[in-house]
Amino acid sequence: MKPNFLEIIDINKKFGNINALKNVFLNVSKGEVICIIGPSGCGKSTLLRTVNWLTPPDSGKVILKGEIIGSDTGKMTFEQNNSLNAFRARIGMVFQQFNVWPHLNALENVVRAQIVVRKIMRDEAEKKAIKILNEVGLKDKIDEWPDNLSGGQKQRLAIARSLAMDPILMLLDEPTSALDPELIGEVLSVLRNLVNEGMTMLIVTHELGFASRFGDKIVFMDAGEIIESGPPNTILKSPKTERLKLFLEKLSLTSL
Amino acid sequence: MLEYQIFFDYFPMILLGFWLTLKIVVCAIALGIPLGLILALGRRSNFIPISFFATSFIELFRNTPFIIQVFLFYYVLPFYGLRLSAEYVGILALAAFGSAYFAEIIRAGIDAIPKGQLESARAIGMTDWQSMKNIILPQTVSIVLPPLTNQTLTLIKESAILSTITVHELTMTGLMVQGETFRPFEVFIMVALLYWALNETIASIMRRIEKRYSRNRKQNKIVRSKIDIIKSSGFSR
Repeated sequence: MKPNFLEIIDINKKFGNINALKNVFLNVSKGEVICIIGPSGCGKSTLLRTVNWLTPPDSGKVILKGEIIGSDTGKMTFEQNNSLNAFRARIGMVFQQFNVWPHLNALENVVRAQIVVRKIMRDEAEKKAIKILNEVGLKDKIDEWPDNLSGGQKQRLAIARSLAMDPILMLLDEPTSALDPELIGEVLSVLRNLVNEGMTMLIVTHELGFASRFGDKIVFMDAGEIIESGPPNTILKSPKTERLKLFLEKLSLTSL
Repeated sequence: MLEYQIFFDYFPMILLGFWLTLKIVVCAIALGIPLGLILALGRRSNFIPISFFATSFIELFRNTPFIIQVFLFYYVLPFYGLRLSAEYVGILALAAFGSAYFAEIIRAGIDAIPKGQLESARAIGMTDWQSMKNIILPQTVSIVLPPLTNQTLTLIKESAILSTITVHELTMTGLMVQGETFRPFEVFIMVALLYWALNETIASIMRRIEKRYSRNRKQNKIVRSKIDIIKSSGFSR
């Protein structure tokens, strides 16, 4: 494992008067699976969105494979904008609300960005899309419109859409939170395959079971700060801070 | 009593006026809708000079009477060395007036698309324009078609005002025939029927296109409810 595949250095972000992120540092090695947990509004989604600059931070740097994503001065030049788009093409993002494209069928959802962003020929893009849709278990839904898919199927389609871009890093923002309980499993099993393939992932999740089994590291955030981070066993079994203890207690209460 | 001879004698002349109205309106719409799209995107731009210009243009043409705009175009442009025939001035004025409304309709359509659609397009590496072209605008088409049709019909009716700057379109021809025959009833019935026939034709074609669009894919419920909001907020036919 190479150290410092992704470096998040001193990220700050304010929304009005609220500190969404405060001096956040995070190092991620290649192939590492980081699960970010924390109460709602703690900034975990914002942290994820600063990595691909969907929400540009007020200050701080995000460095992927030694190169700065976005800019560290706040202003973007034309070249930085282009390189940002190139970065984003290699950083897969999966949203809580799926955000599949309803005017395109399942196949086209996976094909379109390959053609538009990576300039791949249609034949090749379709071949790849079919292969990936097969892998996420949507083989017989290729011609289907997103509106006719279940939540779990939509989320798997969204994951397939990202995978078609050959991502080197995946950002998953509560990928199972909008799903009916019986559909969570099918999405988690796709994610499990990704973990086994060695994909580097940042996952904001409430699935502590998944986090403890497949996460290499759990990061606990509260009020825009990283409070504790470490391997799942230490974080979940022996929390050091009061806030994490409280949070874990609440979670186990609700799961009763 | 109706004098039927008037219909036979003057219909060819009135038809000539109708033909000019048709040509003017087609040109104005062909110019106005692309210009409206550019203005709508311009208004949403982060680059302040562009959004300021687009917003000013839209608000200027939306908030002044069309007849005044026509006078300004017709009497002021020559002062700046732009001597155009009344027909071309009419096309420009109609296109400018229409584009302001088209722009607002298209902007409302873009705003009706859930924010996550643009975010997912940007997150996968598409540029702003690629996201618009591939993801956002195709989804707005079915939303904006009904109000765009509506605005087109309005534009056709507004073209009657061009008679005030000596464009020999349908209304102007009607006025002339009326002056010759002193039979306003027969003349303006012909004029009204021709406007009606044109608008009804366009409306029924668009109804068919709308139906095809909504049949082509089952629509997302969120978008559907937003369509209803747009329709009920004054754009309804």
